[in-house]
Amino acid sequence: MSASKNRVTDLASSEKQTLFRFASLFALLSIIIIGGFSYMYFSAQRELMLQEKKSTLETYSKQLLQELKFLHVNFDKTQLYPRHEEYESAIFDSDKKLIFSSAPTTLRVDKILYLEDAYVTLVSIAESYYLGAKYVVVKVKDDGVWLKQTRKELIAFNVLAFVFMFVIGYALLRLFLKPMRDALALLDRFIKDTTHELNTPVSTIVANIEMIDKSMLDEKTLKKINRIDIGAKTISNIYQDLTYLTLGNKIVTKDEELDVARVIEERMDYFKSLADAKKVSLSKEIIDSPTLLMDKAKFSKLLDNLISNAIKYNKLKGSIKITLQNNVMSVEDTGVGIAKEHISKMQERYSRFNNSSGGFGLGLNIVSSIAKEYDLKIKIDSREKEWTKVSVSW
Amino acid sequence: MDEGERVMVRALFLLLVAFSLHADVYQTNCVSCHEKLPVSIDKYFYRYLLNYSSEKDVKRAMLEYLRKPDKQKSVMGESFINRFGVKQKSELSNGDLKKALNVYYETYKVFGKLK
Repeated sequence: MSASKNRVTDLASSEKQTLFRFASLFALLSIIIIGGFSYMYFSAQRELMLQEKKSTLETYSKQLLQELKFLHVNFDKTQLYPRHEEYESAIFDSDKKLIFSSAPTTLRVDKILYLEDAYVTLVSIAESYYLGAKYVVVKVKDDGVWLKQTRKELIAFNVLAFVFMFVIGYALLRLFLKPMRDALALLDRFIKDTTHELNTPVSTIVANIEMIDKSMLDEKTLKKINRIDIGAKTISNIYQDLTYLTLGNKIVTKDEELDVARVIEERMDYFKSLADAKKVSLSKEIIDSPTLLMDKAKFSKLLDNLISNAIKYNKLKGSIKITLQNNVMSVEDTGVGIAKEHISKMQERYSRFNNSSGGFGLGLNIVSSIAKEYDLKIKIDSREKEWTKVSVSW
Repeated sequence: MDEGERVMVRALFLLLVAFSLHADVYQTNCVSCHEKLPVSIDKYFYRYLLNYSSEKDVKRAMLEYLRKPDKQKSVMGESFINRFGVKQKSELSNGDLKKALNVYYETYKVFGKLK
């Protein structure tokens, strides 16, 4: 989800996981309920069909018994088993051994009436065992009409039930999400309002500091002015970050062939005073000078965030090294580092793993959203309390 | 004729002899008497079949009856008993009775006869 498009639903991965779990559980529950109902309905329909066929089969069974009786009495004269077009039949003795069948039949004594191999089958137990037949099985082919009808009804029911469950699930999900959405919306609204109010004073300060002729100042004042400059630039950076996020893709982009090395130089100049204030040394190693088709403001924003993080989380008298080689730009600092388990969460908005310095936790979220837009790859390596290296490749 | 064939022929011969001996038990001890009766011997068989169904049950019931004839246990109708009475207890050994019954059953069984 793009960071700028729908801020309110920009949920962190742990929240997404919760949602996913909820959705899975709900889907599973729906399937069980709907499946259960479907099975019950199917069984009922089958039972209904069997009961409808039962009386017919009973008639056939009686008819067959009469014929078996006749055959039993006249077995010395005829051994012709009675056959009928309407039904197939089989007879078994009390040991369930097949005596004769007009069609392949297996005997099931656990049920009287059942549907098997597309035959509706009735097993009756004879009172007198004509020709030794205790079990008389008659069966008719199942025309499958009931099955077609039931299937149609079940499909309709399932579709309706799933739609219904989906609507309910969606409503529940919205209800479930509301507090989370509200909290994020509040934060976003607050930032939007704050940035709007910050715009004019910050611009005024920065513009006026730039207008001061520094050669005219004595050392003490120059130092103070420098501090004001640093403070104003910090606010200005935060302001720009927030504007980027709140205005999002409404910012007009103008892609051009960027001289990456030059942009690095420019941004290093811009951050020099900030780095100096923390006694952090900034160095660069530009091995080759690739170009990149990208909006300059966005690339600067990306780089600014990396440098400003490197300064912010660096130790006193630490160093920052920016390297450019083979379409890979990396910013390496000698700072606090990041714990391994936190690296994957670093690009989420408002995530911060260090409380030693202020911030909104927006920086890397902006970096990752810009990177996503231009299909750049971000790689973060770090060793806690030693160093962090963020590489951008294209 | 090799050794295997010779053995087979001998086995077959023995089987035939054994069967004819059984048949003899049945023939001399059952058929010879029943022939003289107005009701042919197969009628009893179908009566048993009607009441006992499976081979095992039929043979067991027949054996029991032959060893201990009883008016209550008879499968024949009352008028039949009234007219012919209950038969005498068989003097044959259990083994001979079983042999005779096997032949009797094989002669009149329904299995394989229906078309």
